[in-house]
Amino acid sequence: MPNERLHRLLCRFTDIRPDEAEQALQLFLYFFLTTFSIYIIKPIKESFLIDVTPAWWPYADFITAGLIGFVVAFNTRLLNRWPRRKYFSWATISFIVLIILFWCVFKTGAPDSPIPFTGTIIPWIQRSWPVPVFVFCFWSDIFIVMSVTHFWLAVNDVFNHRQAKRTISFFVTGGLLGGIIGSLSASRLAHTMGPENLLLIGPVVLLLILAIINHLYAGRKKLEKDISTETARMKPDYLESLRSIRKNKYLRILAGAIASAIIVGSLINTQFKIAVRQAIPTDEARTSFLASFFLAILLISAIFHLLSTGQILKNFGIRFGLLLAPSVLCLGTLAVFLFPAAGIIAWACFIRGSDKTFDNTISQSLRELLYIPIPPSIKYEAKIFIDMFVNKVAVGLGAALFWILYRISSFDRISSIEQIRQLGILIFCFAILSIILIWKIHAEYLATVKKDLSRKWQDPHKVLAENMDVDRARLIADTLQSREVSSTLYAMNLFHLIRKETLTPELKEFLTFREGEVKARSMDSLLDVAGEVFYPGIEETLAEKETETMVTEIMDLDVYRKAMEARFRAIIKDEAFTEIERMEAAKLIGFMKPTPIVIQCLDHLLRDSSLSVINYALSSAAMHRCAEHVSPIIALLENPMSRYEAQNALASYGPGIEDILRVQLQNEAYPLEVRSTIPDILARIGNQKAADILCVQLSCGNEELEADLVDSLYKIHSMHPKIHFKKKTIENGVLSIVRKTYNLYLSGAENKLSPDLPDSVSDPNPAVGIMIKRIFDLLTLIYPSDDIVKAYQNITQGTHKKADASLELLDNVLGRDIRLYLFPLIEDLPLEERIRHLKRLVKGLDQRLVMVKPRVVGRFV
Amino acid sequence: MQITTQDRSGVAVLYVSGELSRLHVTGQTLHQAVKSQLEQGKRNILLNLGEVDFIDSFGVGEILASFTSTQNLGGKIKLARISRKLDFVFMVTGLKRVLDVFDNETSALQSFTRR
Repeated sequence: MPNERLHRLLCRFTDIRPDEAEQALQLFLYFFLTTFSIYIIKPIKESFLIDVTPAWWPYADFITAGLIGFVVAFNTRLLNRWPRRKYFSWATISFIVLIILFWCVFKTGAPDSPIPFTGTIIPWIQRSWPVPVFVFCFWSDIFIVMSVTHFWLAVNDVFNHRQAKRTISFFVTGGLLGGIIGSLSASRLAHTMGPENLLLIGPVVLLLILAIINHLYAGRKKLEKDISTETARMKPDYLESLRSIRKNKYLRILAGAIASAIIVGSLINTQFKIAVRQAIPTDEARTSFLASFFLAILLISAIFHLLSTGQILKNFGIRFGLLLAPSVLCLGTLAVFLFPAAGIIAWACFIRGSDKTFDNTISQSLRELLYIPIPPSIKYEAKIFIDMFVNKVAVGLGAALFWILYRISSFDRISSIEQIRQLGILIFCFAILSIILIWKIHAEYLATVKKDLSRKWQDPHKVLAENMDVDRARLIADTLQSREVSSTLYAMNLFHLIRKETLTPELKEFLTFREGEVKARSMDSLLDVAGEVFYPGIEETLAEKETETMVTEIMDLDVYRKAMEARFRAIIKDEAFTEIERMEAAKLIGFMKPTPIVIQCLDHLLRDSSLSVINYALSSAAMHRCAEHVSPIIALLENPMSRYEAQNALASYGPGIEDILRVQLQNEAYPLEVRSTIPDILARIGNQKAADILCVQLSCGNEELEADLVDSLYKIHSMHPKIHFKKKTIENGVLSIVRKTYNLYLSGAENKLSPDLPDSVSDPNPAVGIMIKRIFDLLTLIYPSDDIVKAYQNITQGTHKKADASLELLDNVLGRDIRLYLFPLIEDLPLEERIRHLKRLVKGLDQRLVMVKPRVVGRFV
Repeated sequence: MQITTQDRSGVAVLYVSGELSRLHVTGQTLHQAVKSQLEQGKRNILLNLGEVDFIDSFGVGEILASFTSTQNLGGKIKLARISRKLDFVFMVTGLKRVLDVFDNETSALQSFTRR
């Protein structure tokens, strides 16, 4: 079937990409056939075991728990030494051979075998009966665990976390269907074929699995090579596996969580057996009940899985999915203390049914997902060790706990309901332990996912703030420029640099060097620069502490103030002062005390006709921060030439002018280019009030100011991480931008259909890129910003693997709505597929946004 | 600090020498010397600071006080031969634009006659 058609078909069942369709189908069939064979083998095993004396039954679990370690060691050794394809193939072939061998043993060696026997081997088998049954039970346990483990190893090899997360429920569906059809086939064919002959279905199914394995790994030589290289470094040792798990915190918690869940399951199973034995005394009725119960569980599991697993994972995430089973079991176990003895079988069916249903569906899927972020160098040996050894040891531990309870208390003398309740206390304790470990593993899971992600570039605001003093740079530029204007202005700027303690020896040397350059250029005027005499050595002289003190003391003199005020009065009266003199006055005011005349003169200079004078006046206004100057400064925002200085001046006012700025920001009658400068000023003020004003304005949905608002909010958060942002407001802002991005895509897609438009017009990517950046900037305000920044950087510029890890991180960090509507924009999807997703979601997003009423002016008015 | 006064073409030239600072006030201050000239009816005053070894903010205050007193009476006070450092200080404080400062006495004296 061509890939495209297959993709269209599979799309109906799962969220799948075209290039994944073939492998997903192969893995679906692989798991279907695996569980089909398991559910053929399982009833045969149970049937043979039941035939043996009941006193031997518990020991079957102990044998498996005791010997599984050796199998794990052997299996790990092979896995590490052989290429994956060879390992899987030989394991499958050996299963086929062993099944045929067991068929021969059961067919000819059983004491009641109708076939006459000769030779020495068969009489020996008959004499040692029921040992062959225990061997078969042990082997079937190994077969079940290994088959399932092999399947999940193949999933780990073929898909990464994101792919696995999307497709895992599809595979589990295959497994459930295989289980249902396998059980039905076993129950139907057992009567006609007999249990021994039923074994022969196994080799046929395993041959099909062998074909799938070879097809799956064919053409994946690179993958095999990678896996071999990664695993070749490991010491193929069983103890090494144990050490690897002990060394790795994530694996330790994972093993603990899985073990506690299995112990809970094992104890629930015991409770169930007690309830069934008490409620249904006869063997036939009990067997019939159990058969129906297990089939019902499989059917319920299939329905639950199809309807809920994907939805739960998609809407509530991994943690909720993992916690669901132990929480339900915890509450269900407590309910046993309220249930009357007569209804205990109903309760037991519920609790056992819940355990098995979760185990077959969501718990299984999620357990497998938890292995995916583990580094390949330890993943495979750890998985085999946990799935086979830890799993079986936990079953043995469950049995041992029951055995201890049975021995130390008068368990056999109390009623069934009391027995169930006593077990319930144990189950409750282990379920709580399971919840704690799941909580921990989720945190570790995120930490493991994050390990793959690194920052590709630093926050520009922080880089600037940490590495560059913008004010100093501007002052140096002014100083250099002023040297060509007036030596007095140059001296004042130099003094300003000295006062700010920024006239470093390097800068002094640089200024001196420039001085020579200027001199050279001005040779014709003999050290006369723009009409001013140039003074060599001025930098050294002014840099002396003594000079600085002297200047400060002079400025404190009353007589000095009076002398300068007389000059300022003259300036206010518009007497004929040159532009340079007004510039010097504007600069000087910045050093002086703000007396009424000084303030008045500054106000006058802020309205000067010369831009140079205005810029110096703005710089002085920034130093005095007088309320009287706010209005003329705001007016200067209108002039593009003075806008930057005016922004700086207003920002230097700091807290206290937010309300004035808010009014300007919200006043739609005000020119847009002026309003758009306000967010940056608020960001530089950088307090809670400024952030709240920006948030309120963002919620108004003004598209023209959106970029400035987002940039400023990001800047505030970046510089002041402790400022709090209202989650709902920011979420709504994010969704609003998401909606606009949808529009870009959808209109871009429509344009693409039009042959008249060039590609560049219809390609929405450049604009989309900017919108996506804006979305992520806003997300940093309400979610862990480092995670969000890393995710953004790796999605936009990382490798495919890192982009997937980023998506996985976001999937676990972001809120439900944001995930739902944002992911189709950032996932790696073909354009058509993306458009399809967006069209499906756009209506819901519109409804979500309609619910948000814009708060125009909010509580600040 | 020592101050000697000479009349040069109607301009009272005050020759200041030594240290013009608060620690070296002995007897008459610069401002008092200027006021004395003003009281004698002199309206054009030149402060020749060429022999001043050191000047502090007190000294600058004296110069400014002299400037205010002269200005109040409609007179003119000019400075000649100030040190480079004082020149820089006048630049920074904006006094270079308030006070008339000359490199030498001759040009300072000529400036009084210029209209």
